[in-house]
Amino acid sequence: MRLELGKIKITDVQPGEVTKVENGTLFVNKQELIDLAMKDDRIKGVKVEFARPGESVRIAPVKDVIEPRVKVSGTGAMFPGMINKVKTVGSGRTHALVGANVITCGKIVGFQEGIIDMSGPTAKYTPFSETFNVCIVIEPVDNLETHDYEQAARLAGLKIGALVGEAGRNVEPDEVVVYETKPIAEQTAQYPNLPKVGYIHMLQSQGLLHDTFYYGVDAKQMVPTFMYPTEIMDGAITSGNCVAPCDKVTTFHHLNNPVIEDLYKRHGKDLNFIGVILTNENVFLADKERSSDMVGKFVEFLGLDGVIITEEGYGNPDTDLMMNCKKSTEAGAKVVLITDEFPGRDGKSQSLADAVPEADTLVSCGNGNVIVEFPPMDKVIGTLDYVETMIGGYEGSLRKDGSIEAEIQIIIASTIANGYNTLSAKMY
Amino acid sequence: MTNIVLVTNNSVVQEKFGEKLDVNHLPQATYLETLEVVRDKIHAGHKLLTHPLSGSVKPNDTPYKTIVISKAKGTLDYDGLGIIEESMASAQKFIAGRKTPQWTDKVKADFRLIDFTIISTAINSMDGKFIG
Repeated sequence: MRLELGKIKITDVQPGEVTKVENGTLFVNKQELIDLAMKDDRIKGVKVEFARPGESVRIAPVKDVIEPRVKVSGTGAMFPGMINKVKTVGSGRTHALVGANVITCGKIVGFQEGIIDMSGPTAKYTPFSETFNVCIVIEPVDNLETHDYEQAARLAGLKIGALVGEAGRNVEPDEVVVYETKPIAEQTAQYPNLPKVGYIHMLQSQGLLHDTFYYGVDAKQMVPTFMYPTEIMDGAITSGNCVAPCDKVTTFHHLNNPVIEDLYKRHGKDLNFIGVILTNENVFLADKERSSDMVGKFVEFLGLDGVIITEEGYGNPDTDLMMNCKKSTEAGAKVVLITDEFPGRDGKSQSLADAVPEADTLVSCGNGNVIVEFPPMDKVIGTLDYVETMIGGYEGSLRKDGSIEAEIQIIIASTIANGYNTLSAKMY
Repeated sequence: MTNIVLVTNNSVVQEKFGEKLDVNHLPQATYLETLEVVRDKIHAGHKLLTHPLSGSVKPNDTPYKTIVISKAKGTLDYDGLGIIEESMASAQKFIAGRKTPQWTDKVKADFRLIDFTIISTAINSMDGKFIG
């Protein structure tokens, strides 16, 4: 599968009569976005607001972040199975508005998703302080059941992401990157002397607000499967997870998976990137056994010399991580884990909820328990009402002047366990 | 499903499943005390069927926990014992880290809902399947 990704660099976002991109500025017809979201009668009201890097703006609570993209050629369309037909994506040409994001916010449950500060000392912990954000604040109809609200907000975000992405269809990209993975026999033969490396991508799959979808299929219902890495760039995987802000994999992070990006950079140079094994993180222990056994089977069948494994979440997924590590090692591969840690505020307690002897090589995405200070911001998009019950927040976190003291895990993607962040850990 | 027991301190789980399934409801138990009861059951020979740290809401971020174990007893579920012990150590770490919050009724209702939906999907997953 071969994909040309055309990157259109966005350097500003402004309101406009027509949603379009001109000389790097994304113009957004706010009403067009509102009308699209309001087609879902589960939604009572929608506000569209902009947040730009350096502004004194706080966005809370954040549900999902979606990079606007459009399929220019090749089969299928963005977010197949969710807002478009299920046809296989990942080939042809796709344009991305790089530097712009659609961010959905709104209360779903009392313990809210996290915070993005566009400036100040904590801005550096999230990539979205550096992007031009189109924030969609969604209000549900009264007494809407939680499942329905979650679904309505999720689909609104994807539809608006695709609508805004359309603005990039006929724009000449600033850069075109070509990604290609061949079918297994050809791929193995292309670089016969390079080690075969695979990426085991674990998808959050525990239930309401903890779900991920592959071509619209709930990851809880899947058994492990093989994915061409370029499929993810066209939105084959979308996020329905919004509980733990720091290591939630947003739809943006699926589209821009850093492990896939870096493996492609080295593909053909010092490794042969074979592809992606998708698996899940179910709560029923027998599901974990089944999925990790099948992951081991794939590692053996594909003849992988090495695998990188990433997870989403803490606790329950740590057991899947360790099972996948053990069985991949037994199947003959060297294994590197990438994940974040929760070793307590002093960093001295055990980082993960599970461990196996085979887990001897790990790259850390940082400690989610460290306390940080957030100064007050001039403007809040959304609400700060739920800061103290957000994960990372606590009683007394939110002060009267609007400043916040909280654990770093309250910041969107601050310790995301696929490495798309700036935190790590070193051994001395 | 007559071969499972739900150990829980979540009244919504008792309310929704109490008639159809065997629910061991511990209304006064804390999160950690609920885990301790499960640990004791595993020592007694029950098998652990769901992961105690289900959900991204960490211990001391939520007061509610539901765990499914087998109704039947057998030889010691060594793997399950490891998992519950690690989960308890993890819970103790988070509880030591900060004071347990005073959640409002609305927030507690949300936590009960999430615990209930997560365990419901796990129960659906095991329906009709081998659990021994």
